Amino acid sequence: MLTGALAADLAVNGLVTGLFYALMAVGLALIFGVLRIVNFAHGEFYMVGAYAYTIVAARLGVPLAVALPTAFLFGAALGWIVERTLMRPLYANIATWGLMRDEYAVIVTFGLSLLLVNLVDKAIGPYAFRAPALVSASRIVVGPALMSGQKVAAAGVTLVTLAFIALFLRFSYWGRAVRAVSQNRLGASLAGIDATAVSSLVFALAGGLAALAGALLSPIINASPDVGAFPAIKSYVIVVLGGMGSILGAFIASLLLGLVESFGAVLVSYQYRDTFGLVLLILFLLFRPQGLFGERGREV
Amino acid sequence: MRNVSHLAIAALTLSVSLAGSAYAADPVKVGVTVTQSPPGSVVQGTQVKDGLEVAAKMLNDQGGVLGRPIELVVEDTQGLPEKARAAVEKLITRDKVVAIVGEHQSSNVLAGMEVAHRYHVPYINTNGWADAIREKGYPEVFNPNNYNRRVAMAAADSIKKLGAKKVVAFAENTDYGIGLAKGIAEQLKAVAPDISYRFDTLDRAAKDYLPAILPLRSDPPDVVVDIMLPPAAYIMMNQVYEQGVAPATKTWLYDASGLADYPDFWQNVKEAGKDMLVFGLYHPKMKAPELAKTIGDAYTKKTGAQPSRLLYQAADSLLVVADAIKRANSTEPDPLVKALEATKYTGTRGEITFSTESGYKYHQWLDIPYVTFQITEIGQKVADAPLVEQAGQPLDPSKLARP
Amino acid sequence: MSGDIRLRREFIATALLLVMLALLPLVQRDVYWLGVLVVSAYFAILASSWNLLAGFTGQFSLAPAAFAMIGAYGAALSATYYSVPPILGLIIGTGAAGLIGLVLGRIVMRLKGPYLALTTLSFAEIARLVASNSINITRGDLGLPIEGWFNDRVLWFYVFLGALAFVICGLYLLLRSKAGLFLEAIRDDEIAAARSGVRIVFWKTAAFAISSAAAGFAGALYAYFASLVTPELGLVQQTGLVVSMTVIGGMGSLIGPVVGAFLVYVTSEWLRDVGGWQLVIFAALVIVFARLFRTGLWGLVTAALQPRRGKPA
Repeated sequence: MLTGALAADLAVNGLVTGLFYALMAVGLALIFGVLRIVNFAHGEFYMVGAYAYTIVAARLGVPLAVALPTAFLFGAALGWIVERTLMRPLYANIATWGLMRDEYAVIVTFGLSLLLVNLVDKAIGPYAFRAPALVSASRIVVGPALMSGQKVAAAGVTLVTLAFIALFLRFSYWGRAVRAVSQNRLGASLAGIDATAVSSLVFALAGGLAALAGALLSPIINASPDVGAFPAIKSYVIVVLGGMGSILGAFIASLLLGLVESFGAVLVSYQYRDTFGLVLLILFLLFRPQGLFGERGREV
Repeated sequence: MRNVSHLAIAALTLSVSLAGSAYAADPVKVGVTVTQSPPGSVVQGTQVKDGLEVAAKMLNDQGGVLGRPIELVVEDTQGLPEKARAAVEKLITRDKVVAIVGEHQSSNVLAGMEVAHRYHVPYINTNGWADAIREKGYPEVFNPNNYNRRVAMAAADSIKKLGAKKVVAFAENTDYGIGLAKGIAEQLKAVAPDISYRFDTLDRAAKDYLPAILPLRSDPPDVVVDIMLPPAAYIMMNQVYEQGVAPATKTWLYDASGLADYPDFWQNVKEAGKDMLVFGLYHPKMKAPELAKTIGDAYTKKTGAQPSRLLYQAADSLLVVADAIKRANSTEPDPLVKALEATKYTGTRGEITFSTESGYKYHQWLDIPYVTFQITEIGQKVADAPLVEQAGQPLDPSKLARP
Repeated sequence: MSGDIRLRREFIATALLLVMLALLPLVQRDVYWLGVLVVSAYFAILASSWNLLAGFTGQFSLAPAAFAMIGAYGAALSATYYSVPPILGLIIGTGAAGLIGLVLGRIVMRLKGPYLALTTLSFAEIARLVASNSINITRGDLGLPIEGWFNDRVLWFYVFLGALAFVICGLYLLLRSKAGLFLEAIRDDEIAAARSGVRIVFWKTAAFAISSAAAGFAGALYAYFASLVTPELGLVQQTGLVVSMTVIGGMGSLIGPVVGAFLVYVTSEWLRDVGGWQLVIFAALVIVFARLFRTGLWGLVTAALQPRRGKPA
């Protein structure tokens, strides 16, 4: 029975969920735009951020306002290191992989994902960690919906961050460099842009954003070694739906996915709500590979 | 002269044999399968393991069984049936244990008991509530713990007494959750057919149950029933409270899983736990044998935590095995199984006997004691929560605290 | 030509390895360790099937575990609801996996690299979620029990070894023939292969179908061995294991997956009591090998054993 009240509830909750997805997906879209690869370890950046925030805030007692940016920096640092050590072969000419650079990226990021999950599992322990909430109110009214204080705070921070990223890409020198390399790597380097530095920047940024998402959600979804698997799959779906490489597309697709899952869970099937996105991914890849906003003619 | 030399020889022989027996006491190995890492419930597994260790120490301090100390061999199942199966097999074939105890998750019991049945080794089900376990009718399996049918009857009875007309249950997608949810449905149909009841199956690995909870905002039931285990149960309870569904003026929250005595309950569930009704297999104020206090105190000394039902279930599991070994005067499977069947042992919760009727009663201790209590303050210890229902004291809704 | 010799060398090496394994029960009859070897053989079959698709044809599917799961459920469902005898159950499991693999292969025909990986990953997740949520049919996460075929652990060991040998022989014959050339051509440069007249559609689909059928076969056999089928078989972590084993052992070689499977799984069990950092090490090895030694352990071994020559072999 879809009443107006229920629909409003579902819409608000769906959009908020979509916002969190966006934080992950935008980073992935950036990576794809600049490096043309799908980072299969993206979920682990989320996980690292969740742990960084939890450990810094809960164990070391650092104030939350500092713990959040710390998590971001952690993720960014990890992203930067990964790009420099593992992604270089993508531009250099490695004889052993020849034309299979895509496959190399798949294997290496997949392996990285396994490494990080198991490393954390062994080094820190497999149990979920409780993180301190930014806002401890259990229940806040947001329009027609009720939400926990943490969610409201997290949504606020996410909106601000996304706005900042949008401005960065539009107006700053490096932001425009990112867009240039994303459109045409060769052309951009001919124009004097250091494409390699842009790649490092983008990976670091993506890592930081995913880590921030993990940190913001850690009071709700406690940090555990495999906590990244779930948001990762969502971001893959979104990046395909939005169009690989399109930041705006990733943002809109995130909100759409949040809404689809929210309404679909109640109207279609609760148990299969995680499959809606997956089915959409397959359909898009087959029939509209450029997604909603991607460029035509992108080779798939 | 001869008397003295005879005496000397006798003394020598005696002292040698005494010394010999001190070295000849090789331990009686008892296998333990518990969850010690995710995705299973580590909290449950640790409570069971600690309980078994306390009971084992008590037994060994009293001289062990048949003059031999008990040694627990512990395997981590991670809460996965496949690992439980492998663990039982390892314990039986490599460690040569005389019995298996400790399993606290129904699907793991179902997997592990198959192996125990194949090798004909006694298997004590410490906390598997699923009726399917008993219905298999394996002679090696014994159940000195709670069973779903019992909870279903208790829950249906309490719901009826609350005067509810519409009931929604959230069950986890496991043997335990679905089995109990269906059991409650059957019992309600039998004792109160005009109550409308439905249950939603939730994935215990998911982190967000809002889509299942949101529809209840506009159409609230009279009772929301929890048939889930941590950590998923805590997420669900928090979200049910966050959305203003339960506990609320119009809606009771009834915890059929009895989570209020878990060590991490209040850490995870804050205001959501206030005014909750809890099905309890243990309450400090309920009537219990003297042994309960002994074991409870030893447990608190060892872990610093308050005793819980899992502790007593675990202790009873091991004590029942020790008692059977003593009566059978052997650790061989056949005499042990026979002795277990004839058990009449007062453990930490009452006198344990095993029924031989087939179906869900098979090898089950039928009269498991239980109570219902209500939490009235945030952070309240179980001991302070008022008992609202126990044997001889029926549930009276007018005496309950309303949110 | 040299490819043929290389392949024959790998086949002989694999055969020798299998013979050595076959002799093991003469010295080691411990039920537990035989069980470990059985599961290793399961992974060896699975890894070999994935290697055909990824190592030889260049199609990086992330769904091998899902196909093993499909094969296992095929056997378990037909045994539970239709009481079919085990041999028929095996055939049904293998067939179901192969058929679905055929369809999936056809669907993802034009996808490459990460897009192929994403699509197969989505498919795998959907398959697992369906198996896990169809509680009325599959009993979901509780698992579907299946009548064990026989109990003798030693016999199971030989059955699995035999199955592995069968799969390896099949792969050898396939790769030795023209098919092998076509598949490797597709892997190395699909556009050039198409221009040379290789029927891309046919061979890519065939590779998918054969690979999935082999994976399903392994899964169905495992179902009878474990007597319980759960959706856990299809988890992405299992695919991760398979990929790790193949990469470490050596992608694109016949013996690589077998070596990788036994090495990784046996070490994993062996070290289980000692703390369990092995998964971290294996994952690190995957990255190192991908970065530096694409031909894996087998590649390193053959390179080391090769006498220095002017021309590459």
